[in-house]
Amino acid sequence: MTAESPSAAPPTDGSAELIGLDALGPTGTYRSRNRLPITDLAGVPLAELSLVPSLYVHRAIAALRAAEPLPAGDRLAALARAGEAFATETVGGLSVDEYSHAVSRISGMPIPVVRRATEGTWRALLGAGRNARQARPRASVDDWHDPATLGGRAVWTRRGEVFAVHAAGNHPGVHALWPQALALGYRVAVRPSRREPLTAHRLITALRAAGFGPDQVAFLPTDHTVADEIISAADLAMVYGGDDVVTKYGADPTVLVQGPGRSKILLAGEDWHRHLDTLVDSVGDEGGTACVNATAVFTDTDPDGLAAALAERLGAIPTLPPEDDRAVLPCQPSGPAAALERFLLDRAAGTTPRLGGAGITDPVPGGGVALRPAVFQVDRADAAQTGIELGFPCVWVAPWSPADGIGPLRHSLVLTALTHDEGLVDRLVAEPTISNVYVGDHPTYWMRPDVPHDGYLGEFLMRTKTVLRD
Amino acid sequence: MTTVHTDPILDGPVDRIPGETDLIEAAMRWHFDPQTGSRFWLGQADTLGFDPREDIHTVDDLARFPNIVDRLRYVPAGDLIPRGYAVQDGAVQDGAVQNGAVYGVYDSGGTTGPPKHVVFMMDWMERLLVRTDQEMDERHYPAAADWLALAPSGPHMYGAFVRETVRRRGRLGFTVDVDPRWVKKCIAAGRGEQASQYAEHVVAQARAVLETQDIAVLIATPPLLERLVRDEELRKLIADRVQVIEWGGAHMDPDTRYLLRTEVFPRARMVGRYGSTMILASAVERAGLAPDDPCIYDPFSPYITFRVVDPETGEPVPYGSRGRVVMNHVSKSAFLPNNLERDEATRIEPPPGQAGDSVADVAPVAVFGDSLVIEGVY
Repeated sequence: MTAESPSAAPPTDGSAELIGLDALGPTGTYRSRNRLPITDLAGVPLAELSLVPSLYVHRAIAALRAAEPLPAGDRLAALARAGEAFATETVGGLSVDEYSHAVSRISGMPIPVVRRATEGTWRALLGAGRNARQARPRASVDDWHDPATLGGRAVWTRRGEVFAVHAAGNHPGVHALWPQALALGYRVAVRPSRREPLTAHRLITALRAAGFGPDQVAFLPTDHTVADEIISAADLAMVYGGDDVVTKYGADPTVLVQGPGRSKILLAGEDWHRHLDTLVDSVGDEGGTACVNATAVFTDTDPDGLAAALAERLGAIPTLPPEDDRAVLPCQPSGPAAALERFLLDRAAGTTPRLGGAGITDPVPGGGVALRPAVFQVDRADAAQTGIELGFPCVWVAPWSPADGIGPLRHSLVLTALTHDEGLVDRLVAEPTISNVYVGDHPTYWMRPDVPHDGYLGEFLMRTKTVLRD
Repeated sequence: MTTVHTDPILDGPVDRIPGETDLIEAAMRWHFDPQTGSRFWLGQADTLGFDPREDIHTVDDLARFPNIVDRLRYVPAGDLIPRGYAVQDGAVQDGAVQNGAVYGVYDSGGTTGPPKHVVFMMDWMERLLVRTDQEMDERHYPAAADWLALAPSGPHMYGAFVRETVRRRGRLGFTVDVDPRWVKKCIAAGRGEQASQYAEHVVAQARAVLETQDIAVLIATPPLLERLVRDEELRKLIADRVQVIEWGGAHMDPDTRYLLRTEVFPRARMVGRYGSTMILASAVERAGLAPDDPCIYDPFSPYITFRVVDPETGEPVPYGSRGRVVMNHVSKSAFLPNNLERDEATRIEPPPGQAGDSVADVAPVAVFGDSLVIEGVY
């Protein structure tokens, strides 16, 4: 695109100090006329996000598709450079500290979580090439030039050229995954969440500075009416969302849905006292905002005692503003938080509140409220509430017995099984709706980039084809 | 003796535009005189609480009328024809009309419910075409050229209006029919994919014309224009050949307008048109605006007038502020006052001599972004 971006124009409304989150399109930055103020917990604008129209989206994605990928070695080098800049340098005018502070004030994420995610994203970019290749079938090779193809061999190839990402805003760590697509030679368009567009902007700015041209990776914020256009214009897409998104895209083979986590913990024949730290951390680490946080705990012994102990430990977490170095709990503006509180208390009707039964919101200095932990106890393993996943430390404690089987444990991104029953573990590992099984004293949020999170991204992005040559 | 009612102001020469007060007072006399008014308006007269022939003189006064457009969904459309169009044989004959006086009957888009019916009279079409001719001259539309319109025929008036325009000042008028009612139905039912297939079907027909014919004027909706230019070959064909691209029928945001005028069609002239079935006309984009200027529309005043108001109070918003658009049509052929449209626009000072407001950057009433999602972590 050759149009002069109006970004050179001085701000007209005293917004000089706002963080400018311009679109990053095929000819560089693009400041649109339609801009969305991004506000902090108190409603104070901190940034301004350029929303692009569908015409811009289609032209940007056409430019990505027309571009050649960088050579593989250059891609990995640029990813590594970008990771270092993202995590240690000033990018787009923001130092790492300024970036972390702004993310915590806008999204309410505890700043220690932001910092850990920044480190994690750096590691993920360093390892993106290696991690992406974990998905490659052992019988295949990376390149048709490989001598193995002389006698006929599987070659691992892309399923398309342009990969679109509808990013989530719940946790900055979601941006650690999609750079694997760049490593595999895709050109990538990211539509950020308006809840937290800073991380995607920072990462893509760093990727461009590190050598990915404007026709390799794009930052395309849009309003919701244009959101679908990015998915339809790209070859493949990854979308984060709840059950509605699963319903909308679940049957589309070109869309990889990152749906609800509904991670769970099962204690079968294990005394919970010895595992309380792991249970508490699984619920509350990452501010309880991640899809890998435990939503429900099932136990075959003493659910009353377990619920009381969880309530005591989680209840002791202090209320702090998110930019505080000791913050653990997520915060939100008071309006959405009040709606969330009503939703929770409404759904919890008929259960036994152990913590948070009178409400979960607690004002913090500087505006907004902390979302305090909630512990509710249900009286049967198949209670519907055990599937209610909310973006703060909120856990449902349920009784379980072998007679309940694994039915109540289905539909889990992570299932931590504290048990020595190998037959039970067999069934959990075999269950298709459980994505990851951790046996023993491991928190549900345990992750390593070389093992799958919800399958390998490469399983979706790549395919094999036979190459036979003379 | 056979006479036809005429009025010196309402029936004045087509190139002489009456003043605001003259037109409105003459129209009130016409539409509320039992000899000349329509069955529809004469039936309303007693319920108004004021006498239009005494109390209504200006565009601002039209705000005293109720918004009657919802009734156009079910009243017999013939009741909208002023009795004064009938050949008079002493007694008034309801429903009679002089041969050749009616141009046609048309429907609104049906976005907000069952369609509204309006009657388009020949004398109004003539006035509109003369005015449109002048507007197109001022905007340097090529003469005697071939046009392609991707526009609705059927119950909508726009297709007929384009046909008349081309007959008057063009050569060949190629048309591809567009059925916006079907598209809206598909989208409302969540069948976006079908709407998309339909748009591709229209684009394929347009391509066949554009590839073989020397089209100098292209008419399309913004979504169809976007579809046309997704194919770079087709974009280049249009950009190289078409002199005027007229868009309307849907809104275009300022970012899209700027991109189209600068990058996509750097040479063609783009002209916006803001129409509504409820004014039996459209307002054309002001001549000479730069790509980054607000897209200002000046209506055919005093027949067609706009006001931009605060929808809560009905009071005008200050110039430069956003508000809802209220539209009026006042002519011999029809009277459609005080219709609060669903559109938002910026209130703009009118050019000298124009009654009411001009409007800019028309858009649907603001829709807020991602709705509040409560459950889930994303």
